[in-house]
Formats: sequence, structure tokens, C-alpha cells
Amino acid sequence: MLLNYIKIAWKVLLRHPFYTFITLFGISLTLTVMMVLTSFLDHLIGSHYPENKRDRMLYIMQMRLQDSSRTSNSSGPMSFKFLTDYAKSLKTPERVTITTFINSSNAYVGSQKIKLNTKFTDADFWQVTDFDFLEGKPYNEQNMANGENVAVITDDFKKHYFDNADEPVVGKDVEIENIHYKVIGVVKASPATRPFTYADVYFPYTTPKSNYQATGMRGGYVAMILAKDKTDLPAIQEEFKSHIDRIPLPGIQDGFNYSVLEVKGESYLDNFIGPILEGNSGIKTIFFGVITFVLFMLMGLPAINLVNINVSRIMERASEIGIRKAFGAPVKTLVWQFIVENIFITLIGGTIALGLTMIVIHLINTSGMIAYADLTINLNVFLISLIVCLIFGLLSGVLPALRMSKLTIAEALKS
Amino acid sequence: MIPHLFKLIWNKKKAHALLIVEIWASFMVLFGLATLVVVNVGNYTEPLGFRYENVWAIGLKANQDTTEIADKLQRVQQRLKAYPEVESVSRMGSNFPFSANQTNNGIEYKKRKVLADFYTTDENFAKTLDIPVSEGHWYRNADSVGKYTPVIINQKAREGLFGDENPLGKIIGERFRVVGVIDNFKAKGEFMTNKPAVFELAKANATWIDTMLIKVKPGTDATFEAKVVKDIASMVTGWSVEVDYLTDSRKNQHNLVLVPIIIALIVSGFLLINVALGLFGVLNLSIAKRRGEIGLRRALGATGNGISTQFIGEIWVLATFAMLIGLLFAAQFPLLNVFDLQASIYVIAILIAVAIIYGIVTLCALFPSRQAAMIQPAVALHEE
Repeated sequence: MLLNYIKIAWKVLLRHPFYTFITLFGISLTLTVMMVLTSFLDHLIGSHYPENKRDRMLYIMQMRLQDSSRTSNSSGPMSFKFLTDYAKSLKTPERVTITTFINSSNAYVGSQKIKLNTKFTDADFWQVTDFDFLEGKPYNEQNMANGENVAVITDDFKKHYFDNADEPVVGKDVEIENIHYKVIGVVKASPATRPFTYADVYFPYTTPKSNYQATGMRGGYVAMILAKDKTDLPAIQEEFKSHIDRIPLPGIQDGFNYSVLEVKGESYLDNFIGPILEGNSGIKTIFFGVITFVLFMLMGLPAINLVNINVSRIMERASEIGIRKAFGAPVKTLVWQFIVENIFITLIGGTIALGLTMIVIHLINTSGMIAYADLTINLNVFLISLIVCLIFGLLSGVLPALRMSKLTIAEALKS
Repeated sequence: MIPHLFKLIWNKKKAHALLIVEIWASFMVLFGLATLVVVNVGNYTEPLGFRYENVWAIGLKANQDTTEIADKLQRVQQRLKAYPEVESVSRMGSNFPFSANQTNNGIEYKKRKVLADFYTTDENFAKTLDIPVSEGHWYRNADSVGKYTPVIINQKAREGLFGDENPLGKIIGERFRVVGVIDNFKAKGEFMTNKPAVFELAKANATWIDTMLIKVKPGTDATFEAKVVKDIASMVTGWSVEVDYLTDSRKNQHNLVLVPIIIALIVSGFLLINVALGLFGVLNLSIAKRRGEIGLRRALGATGNGISTQFIGEIWVLATFAMLIGLLFAAQFPLLNVFDLQASIYVIAILIAVAIIYGIVTLCALFPSRQAAMIQPAVALHEE
């Protein structure tokens, strides 16, 4: 029976190539946009190289200080000392790493200038993240204790800085801002959209200019906490909170009198949307308003469009419906047939969309818009798209089918 | 003719409900997009107010060094001035043009308040960035006498604080004395809204005024840059030195604005193509269904042009219905003053959206109605 419906659907599609084109164009385009968006979101927040364990990681990104009257705020990353005292000392996690956010710098090769993003990290950084070492190895506690000026560089920086990119460069020298560092390892670059791990050159925090000696609470450092297991996350947050609660309030920081101090270990996504969700209701309304509007337009507009086309198309087939009704086919069977037909078309459109998405993603990855982007269609993205596909098929199939079922036999046969 | 068309559409309102919803939704999308574009085009046409070519920003960070910072900064500035390649050197805070930082403060004069961007700079700033001073003069170190710090305000700040009054010599915010007025200063690039700005003379001993803006002679390249970085690094050991070309930072600032707009344009463009194709299909079918009616009209003497005018008229009435609903929504934006934009921006955006919708529906109706006009009355009536 199902096969029969699909056969009919196929014949109908071939009968009017122009309408088939319009329908497929609409479906595949919308799904492409949806899939590229999901893939992009997945790229931003999912667990990917080099943060493959993001699902059992917590991020400490911001400290917020507020005065007693709650009128002025001061927020930003923290000092190395603060994170060592309050985050590194946690007992529950497997490991905690302290690193700077992205700093910029320049290196010069002859008359060429290379723009650089640098990062100061501790040795645990290489355990918490999963960088691929193409050459050499990461620095460890020993290197730091010896006060060595070493650096881990990315393959991309290696290509730009050294004349011969094929030769191994471990043990060679790079000069950045007048300081010579010995290259100890070369890693595959991380995408620029992962600020916790992205950089061109990684230094141990003990090298000059890292400011890890600063004594205040605020500075340039953030932390990543790796839990032994996903279920430990709430316990870690609890422990971290108890550490933070030990800080006496109110206090003074860089001349700022604060009575509220907030630092949280949060999942990657919460880190970024947390401030929006906790913001005042106006910001929240606008934020969700815009998202709903965009989603409605993205999904709703093409769906209405499809319903429109489907209604006209099904009305065109009134005589077929009339004959089938006259021979005793119940409304349910007819509605079912049209829904199957629609899902069938949607799946064809979905397949085309999958192809288009691959092309678009490939273009985004190779265009260099996002440095070292690695957008992918993984199982999650594909499943979400498939569900979207089916909702789409049902949405655009039910209404025309219902309208068609209201047609009386006499009216249907007349045309 | 028009009341007649209204009646025709009204009689089939149920069948047309979805079409109306579709056109309404397209209108809303276009309205949003047009607002975005109008705002940015409007900003873009305002002059920038300064020149950034061949200007480099050298950011210095003292790191763990805490001794004689102000002294060292001054020495670095002297050293930079001494290079033959450098035309002019100015010191300012980290909110140099096109940087990601900004500082703003409320400032008051006779109960009139404006929220202005604050820039702390020195006496060479206007020369380095080629800022014309329209009234008064750019401050000099000698202007800093008594308890007042000399400040320069831009035209926007002047309008907000003084209206028609002469601002020169006035005291604002209790500790600033206005010594000059400049035109625009859009520090974040052409797409930034022209906002009030206040320039304050840096104190010689301020340690946080640690960005050097240098204007170099045209054709100076990275070899010189490397030399400068090396020299500074050996003068002030342990400090970080970072060089940014303002032309590059400007590009970054522009991308922050342009990339979302381009994505929105592409997505909306595809949505509208989608809608247009759909409309075209629906109209094509519905006109084909009315062959009998058309044949009859032709037989009664209607011209081909008359027939196509009727169909285009019908779709225009439909679009007008949809857009009237859309206007109910769109009108809320200027009425409730959402996003703090001028009402004229919304009005222009609405007009653009209306024009594009009429354009799209006309294009979609043109081909089917031309076909309908060519129907031979005899053939159509015979089929009937």
C-alpha cells in the first residue's frame, strides 16, 4: 500500500515538473538553512576538537563585582592567584586548568608581519584538552619549574614563520616581542570560535609577560574544570560555590567597593547565554522575541508557502479524489495518502538539502571566514534535520489533506 | 473597478487567507531587513571625522613593572617622535579608534544631560588623526590651568548640551572646560551611530594612557615596525608591545556589522525567492482554473489588457490587505520608540518593504495574467 502511494506520488511529481521544482526548491532551501544553522550551533557549543570532553567540563569565565547599591558593575576574567586558590584547589574534579583568554601579539619575519594570538597556560591544559601533537610534546611542570622559555605552536603558525614547513621545527627558536622561545611541540590548530583553546602560540604561564604574579582578584585568566564523570558536575559546582563563599564580603578591589561577588563554574553554553537569561526581563523578552521571530520566519514562511502550493495542487487532482471517493475510499485513507505523499516529497527535498548543506559547509570551512573552522554534519545534526524534515512534511500535508477530504463526491467528479 | 476587485477578493477570503498570511509574513521580514539596512546606510553616509590611513596603534602594557611608568611612557613617546618615518605621535587610552574598548560617561550642563563617549588624549591627537577643529582650538598642555581640565566636544555633544549657546569656555561636568568643537567622531567606523564624544586632556603622569598612535609616512612597512617593536622592547624590558594598523582594526569593526547583515540578506533573499515562486505557482493554477470566466469576459468584449489588469489588480488588493495588517505591527515600532531609532527610519523601511512587496506580487502575477489574456474566448467557452 505504502509503495503504491509512493508510486502515485512519483508519477504526480513528474506530471508537473515546474511545480515539483518549486516545491522541492522551497523544501530543500529551508532545510539547508536549518541544517547549516544547526551545524553552526553544534560547531559553537558541541564537543569538538580540541575540547572533546566538553560534556563533562565546567568553565569559569567571568567574575562579577557589584557595589552595595547595585548601580555599578565590574566584570571580567580573574587573576592566576585567585583561580589557583579557589578553583585549582577543588577536590572533586579530575583536573583543573588555568589559562589566559586570547592575547594578541605580532611576530616579524623579514619585512613580513604575522598577527598572533597567544595564550599562557599551565601544564594541565594539555591534559584537559585533546590537542593533536604533530611534532614534539607539551610542556610539563618540570619545564616550568626550570623556568624554561618554551612554546607550543600550531601547524599554521609554523607554516608562516619557518621557511621550510616540511622540516621538523622542535628545538628551533621563535622570537616574539624580543623574547626567544624554544619550540617544544606543534599542534593542529583549533578553530577561532573556541576562545578557551584557540591560539597560535601557547606559552607556560611562567614565561615573561604572563602577569601570573598579580595579587588582586581580577586579571586575565579563566579556568576549565574537567570532571571524572558527567554526574559529578553539580557536586563540583557546589564545592566551588563553598570555596567562593569563604571570601569575605564586602571588600575592595582596585578601588572598587563591592558587596556582591559572583563567580560560577558553568557549562560552556550557560557561560554565554547565562548573562542574558539572568539579565532584566526587557533583555530577555527581546532576546527570545528575536529568536522566536527568526525561527517562525525560517520555518513558518516556507511552510505556509508549501501549504499554499499543496492546496492548489491537490485541488487540481479533485477528479482523482472524486473517483476514489465514489468507489468507497474513506476520508482517512485519502488523508493518509496525501500525508505519505508529502513526507515522500519532503524526504527527497531533505536529501537535496543534505547535499547542499555539505557544499555550503565545505565553502564555510575553506573560505577562511572562521579560522580553522571544522563545521560538520554529524549524527546529531542529521537527526535534528530529519525531525525538522518530518515536521515540515506533516505541517504542509495535513491542512491540504483535510481541505481535500471535505470535497463532496459530486463536486469532485464535476471537474 | 477597485471596489469591485475588493468584493471579488472578499468573497473568497477563506481561500485567500493563507496567501494573505504569506504576504504579511514576507512584509514583516522585509520591514525588519529594511530597517537594518536603512539604519546602517544612514550611519555610513555620516562622515567619519578623522583619517586613519598610515596610522598605527602601539599598545603598551607594563605587566609586572610598576616603577616610573609615566616616565617610561614619555620616553617611549619621545623615542617614537625621533624616527624620520614618523610624522606625529599621540598618546591615548585603550579606546583608540576602531578598538574593541569604549568608555562612556553621563555629562551635564544646566540640567541638560548627554551620555558621551570619553577619550583621554594629548595635544597631538588632532594632528595625528587629521581632525579639523571647527571652533576654538585643540587643547594644548598649557590649557590645563587651575582645577579645570580642557576638553573638546563634538558637534553631537554640543547640540545635546548647549543647543544654540556658544560652548567655548563653558564649564561642564564640574571639572571640564570646553576649549574647542569638532564635527564628527565615529570611533568605531563608518557604521557607528554618530554619538556625542568628549576628549579630555591626559595628565602627564597618567599611567593608563598607554596606547601610542603614530602616523607614519606612506610606504612604511613591517621592517620599520619590527625595528620599532625591538627598540621599545629593549627600552622598557618586560613590557608587552602590540602594533595594530588602524586600517586592519577598521576592517574588523566593519565585519562585526557587515557579517550579520550579509547573513540576514542571504537568508531573507532565499525566503523571498521561495515565497515568490510559491505565489507564482498558486496564481498560475488559480488563473488556469478560471478559464471559463475569462473566456466569457473575452466573449463579452473585454480586451487582453483588461484581463491582465484585472488579475494584477486582484493581487494588489490582496497584497494591500496583507500589508495593512503588517502595518498594524510595524507602526508599533515608531510609536513605542523601540530600539531608540528615529521614526523616519521606520517610515522609510516601511516604504521600501511596501515597494518591494508590490514589485514581487506584480512580477508573480504578470506571466500568468499575460497567459490568461491570450486565451481565445471560443476555446475557453467550448471547454466549459
